[in-house]
Amino acid sequence: MDESLRQFEDIPGVVWVPPPEEFITVDRDACTGCGDCVRVCLASVFRLREGKAEVARLERCMECAACFFVCEPGAVDFQWPKFGTGYRSEWG
Amino acid sequence: MSDYDVIVVGAGFGGPVAAKKCAEAGLSTLILERAAVPGEKVISSLTIPFYGFLFGPSWIRDGDPPIERPVSGIRNFFVKEGKTFAKDCSFRVPRPFGPRVSIGYTTYCRPFCTWLADRAVEAGAELRTSVTAVDVIKENGKVQGVVTDRGEELRSRMLLDSEGLQNLLGIKAGIRKRYLPEVVELCLLLDFEMPKEEIDRVCGYNLEYFWGMPEEEIIAPLGYGSAVYIFPYRESIHMTIGCFLKAEDEVAPAVRTLDAYYERFFQTDRWQSEYAPHTKLRARIWDTCPIYAGLHPEMREMPTFTDNMLLLGDAAGMEAAAIADGVPTAWFSAEIAADTTIEALKAGDTSADFLSRYDQRLRAHPLITALITDPHRRDLKYAAINVSEKEMRKRVHNGWGFGMMKHLTWPVTKAVVGSMWRKPSIPFRWMNMFNRYYKLYR
Ligand SMILES: Cc1cc2nc3c(=O)[nH]c(=O)nc-3n(C[C@H](O)[C@H](O)[C@H](O)COP(=O)(O)OP(=O)(O)OC[C@H]3O[C@@H](n4cnc5c(N)ncnc54)[C@H](O)[C@@H]3O)c2cc1C
Ligand code: SF4
Ligand code: SF4
Repeated sequence: MDESLRQFEDIPGVVWVPPPEEFITVDRDACTGCGDCVRVCLASVFRLREGKAEVARLERCMECAACFFVCEPGAVDFQWPKFGTGYRSEWG
Repeated sequence: MSDYDVIVVGAGFGGPVAAKKCAEAGLSTLILERAAVPGEKVISSLTIPFYGFLFGPSWIRDGDPPIERPVSGIRNFFVKEGKTFAKDCSFRVPRPFGPRVSIGYTTYCRPFCTWLADRAVEAGAELRTSVTAVDVIKENGKVQGVVTDRGEELRSRMLLDSEGLQNLLGIKAGIRKRYLPEVVELCLLLDFEMPKEEIDRVCGYNLEYFWGMPEEEIIAPLGYGSAVYIFPYRESIHMTIGCFLKAEDEVAPAVRTLDAYYERFFQTDRWQSEYAPHTKLRARIWDTCPIYAGLHPEMREMPTFTDNMLLLGDAAGMEAAAIADGVPTAWFSAEIAADTTIEALKAGDTSADFLSRYDQRLRAHPLITALITDPHRRDLKYAAINVSEKEMRKRVHNGWGFGMMKHLTWPVTKAVVGSMWRKPSIPFRWMNMFNRYYKLYR
């Protein structure tokens, strides 16, 4: 397999092409620290630190946008990973 | 000066259908797809209901799409104290018609979307993969095309937005809002390998649905009445649970580990005896879908068009609340969007005023409105929180059993009559399709 591809044991059937830059970010000023994004993300991408959410493990993201929909104040900025990077799956 | 007559964003289920029609009408048509291969960033359970094939694009109906298995019935199981029981409120096309005459076909997204995109390219459309449209070009308040992730500005006379539910371009164009979490479900899907003869024996041509009474019986408490759905493929099965992102002002209690979702279900007797010995987990993937957008007044009234731009499929809120399917409505809206685009370009008028007929046509379609505003399945989800067994069965019957007939027969009949009115010989095509698809499967 291509060396640059990533896989995770708990998410079989998916490979990730590393994106050139972060595509999900949290606006710390708008974040209320409610933790909804942390709770809703099945990939455990977010964590709370000092009462604010931060993106910690974006390399596991499935681009489902649940964090984007669930964040009431709109503090989660969600874009697509560029140039065809991000997750790939044959089994959807 | 435009680079293209039409730019279509997204080569999922809807985009290629619209693109093919535009290209066939002689319009220079470009499809942009952010994935490297069409369909590899689309996640779906996926049974495409028969009405998508009957009343959708004729070239899909008369073609040889990569289907996995015909589906001719739904078996509902209830689970109590780890035991599955009661198969009433089930639904099946009677023999000798079923499974040849089917209520749907299972398929994988990647081969299917690739097949659709190939047909659009054959018709003359240009397809660029691994390219993301990151913004719309706006001049004098009007959409003029898109900006790609490479910073390229691509101009078109019409923009068809079939980017799916995240709808980032619709938001950037200023005509849509983020879907509210109460209309969105988060679905965790497992794909298992399973030998064909075991699938034939266990499910045959039936989808199997499991209802926990209460839901904690089969799944970790996700809240809001979730069920486990099993879809048989050729040599594999798909298993899905969907839960609302938010209901009754509360964000769905998340299950922190992926395993917890199905932990309880894997202890039930039917899984243990019939499935577990023959299955091997191959993939664990998830996505969201805007199932209840059509039932939410504010979400439903968001525009599906603006100057020089139309939205279709999930991006336009076309996901069907009735049975949680979005492919048929993506196809219907894609064809209507292409027809409207062709007319608008011919008339030299792509103003919002002219394009408003698109929205009128969506609303007048015999199936779309009926499908996206059907409340039975939502009632069922709420019912599953805390109701008596009797009530639960009634709602399963209405939502997923024979009771579906009550509320879907009329719109389907209208669609049948409408099609026969336009083309009296159409029932032969339909029979032909059922036979051919069945052979494709065999
Ligand atoms: C778990 C799950 C189960 C489902 N089960 C069923 C089912 O059983 N039956 C059924 O009929 N429907 C089902 N659906 C719904 C169905 O999958 C969708 O309704 C359907 O895919 C919508 O088609 P679409 O063309 O609108 O969007 P999609 O098929 O999502 O296509 C959008 C495409 O656009 C691309 N894209 C997005 N943004 C950009 C951009 N900015 N630039 C370039 N490309 C972009 C994406 O990569 C994608 O290929 C299910 C959905 C989910 C999530
Ligand atoms: S959901 Fe939004 S507001 Fe809440 S913690 Fe996450 S980023 Fe902050
Ligand atoms: S898009 Fe989905 S997987 Fe990615 S961080 Fe958000 S919730 Fe998690």
